[in-house]
Amino acid sequence: MKRRIIFHVDMNSFYASVEMAYNPDLKGKPLAIAGNPEERKGIVVTSSYEARAKGVKTTMPLWQAYDLCPNLIVMRPNFERYKEASRLIFTILSEITPIVQPVSIDEGFMDVTEVSKNVDARELAQTIQNRILDELDLPCSIGIAPNKFLAKMASDMKKPQGITVLRKRELHEKLWPLPIGEMYGVGAKTEEKLKQLNLFTIGDLAKANVMTLKQLLGVNGERLHIRSNGEDDREVDPDAVYDFKSIGNSKTLPFDTTDEAEIMRMFKTLSEKVHERMKTKKVVSENIQIMIRYHNRKTITRGKQLRDYIDSAEAIYQIAFDLFQTHWNQEPIRLLGVTAQQLTTLEDASKQLDLFNYEAEAEKETLYQAVEKMKEKYGDRIFKKLDQSEPKMSTSFQKDFLMDYKKKK
Amino acid sequence: MKIIIERDQLMQSIQNVMKAISPKTTIPILSGIKIEATQEEVKLTGSDSDITIESIIPKEEEGIVYIHDVNPGKVVVQAKFLPDIIRKLPESEVEISSDDDLNLTIRSGKAEFKLNGQDPEEYPQLPVLQTENHFDLQIDLLKTLIRQTNFAVSTSETRPILTGVNFKLENNNLELVATDSHRLASRKIEMDKQEDSISFNNIVIPGKSLTELNKILDDGQETVQVSVSDNQILFKTKYVYFLSRLLDGNYPDTSRLIPDQSKTEVKVNAKELIQTIDRASLLAKDNRNNIVKLVTQENDVLEITSNSPEIGTAEELLQTKSITGEELKISFNAKYMIDALRAIDAEEIKIQFTGAMRPFIIQPVEEEQHILQLITPVRTY
Repeated sequence: MKRRIIFHVDMNSFYASVEMAYNPDLKGKPLAIAGNPEERKGIVVTSSYEARAKGVKTTMPLWQAYDLCPNLIVMRPNFERYKEASRLIFTILSEITPIVQPVSIDEGFMDVTEVSKNVDARELAQTIQNRILDELDLPCSIGIAPNKFLAKMASDMKKPQGITVLRKRELHEKLWPLPIGEMYGVGAKTEEKLKQLNLFTIGDLAKANVMTLKQLLGVNGERLHIRSNGEDDREVDPDAVYDFKSIGNSKTLPFDTTDEAEIMRMFKTLSEKVHERMKTKKVVSENIQIMIRYHNRKTITRGKQLRDYIDSAEAIYQIAFDLFQTHWNQEPIRLLGVTAQQLTTLEDASKQLDLFNYEAEAEKETLYQAVEKMKEKYGDRIFKKLDQSEPKMSTSFQKDFLMDYKKKK
Repeated sequence: MKIIIERDQLMQSIQNVMKAISPKTTIPILSGIKIEATQEEVKLTGSDSDITIESIIPKEEEGIVYIHDVNPGKVVVQAKFLPDIIRKLPESEVEISSDDDLNLTIRSGKAEFKLNGQDPEEYPQLPVLQTENHFDLQIDLLKTLIRQTNFAVSTSETRPILTGVNFKLENNNLELVATDSHRLASRKIEMDKQEDSISFNNIVIPGKSLTELNKILDDGQETVQVSVSDNQILFKTKYVYFLSRLLDGNYPDTSRLIPDQSKTEVKVNAKELIQTIDRASLLAKDNRNNIVKLVTQENDVLEITSNSPEIGTAEELLQTKSITGEELKISFNAKYMIDALRAIDAEEIKIQFTGAMRPFIIQPVEEEQHILQLITPVRTY
């Protein structure tokens, strides 16, 4: 296989950095971005390096963060700003190479194998880092490696504003000494299991018996073993963004509740959010699922298969609330979720009209015809449905910006 | 009870009544066949409470003796094994007898089966339909009517009334209508003058009942007597009584659904159209609405295409007899079109369109039979 050069670009404490770029007065101060400061789930989403120095960590409850850092500045997230910043970052990246795969709002992979033929990879990374800092006032770390896994591990090694090259021959000194929990792909539960096998570093994992790992963790065990040996043959796939299967939003209630009016409101809000995101992605759904988490954390999901595509918040709400009424056991509820599944892009969608109510569609026929004629004359791109409103932001929009990135490219 | 009966006749009757018996019945007695013997005939009954079928074996017909010996009585016997037992008996004569304890014995040649019977008194009494409200139909005509409409009933319970075929009899015209809300099939015939002219318009027979009825009735010129009550319908031939529950509810007024004007009219050979659409739909079977697209072109040519995003495209030009009116592009479910064309069964048909988002009408060009098929298009986005 051809040797590749992969970059992993990872923004440093992204939300906090964006706020600081907007308001330079915040620079050098301990800053935390928190979901809902008033409510019990007010937790730290991200914090500046100054706050981290005091021990403030992501997902820490706010009261605890204040304890550690009394002069902490807390801000609500401004997703609109982060989205815009993200878009600009990926624009810079895609000016270097079209082979950019956004992974989330603040990180992405680049395959710079071709570009690096003429430029030294480290210099190229430096150029990217400088541009993002100069043009957007945002810090990032870049990992350079022969594959995605190592690039990701490398970008983690030096923060903020680091550039780290991780070569395969350096694994034993740079990667293997790291504690197992630092490995990308090893979560808390996997870490626990691996430690029971006396595997404490990535190196331990790399030397462990594959069969043992497979027995313990299944396919994932084998995969982790391969990765720990510095192998990863996944390509940087710019289209990976399209691989979405569902759109879901969930929300924790401020208080456990059995109040049906409150629940109805919640379902309305959730349905609207799901609908907004479907609209942004230009998809319709054939399957709606709800999630109910009770006060005792017992969680159920229930879905309904539909005969037709739905694309309105009202329809989503109707189905979601119906499902809820059928399956709710009357116990207090902590969290509710609505997910639209089986998504189809509008271009691939078709709707069998109904004899008894086709009129609604037929009324627009002359309009469709006119659109069709124009398209024939001037090509497919002349029309674009106006998004009725700019989608409202919510915490689970993380992946949706990716579509925007594709759209605007 | 004791009968000695011809095996083939018995087998035929068993197969008839088996069509009404559901293996999943919740009423235990209905998992059996009721056998009633009188001096004149043997009657078998099967039922799933929606459909009840009675099949009669006469003692003799046209000099041929079917029942050789009778000791009148009745019994209910488990239906599950009966067809196989009777089919595999060694001789052409079968002796069936039951004692007071409902033990059933089946003998043929040297083979003997003993089965546990059930109490015939537990078998639900069939409602006796008053037969004043009735009319006669030729059997093969009834079968044609069923074939031309029943395929269009809904298979979804969303609107239960649409799972049946609506029978209307007014001014000596009998009309059958079926629709699943995406397409509609309608057939009308003029009845012979009946002595008592009767009329009804909200009779809806479950599609499933008609499917079974169609299987039981043999093609032929004989007549079937149709009797209608508020909640049941009885089809009665000489040796078969077929009783079906009617669907509750009001059948929607479908006459208003049929467009009374058209903007584009196509006349075309039906067979050629079926074949073209069938070919085009080969690739469309994967997409959910089995969509083919039809576009009118110059010189009376139709372009028929389909595409499946990941598979490929199909395209074919079809020379029609004539295309008049506005240009048109329309997408529809290929299956609906093929079903409709097969039901019409005419050499040349005409299709009347009123726009890409409106239902279109398919009829034979020669209107010797009043048949109309309506299909609602598919909207593509």
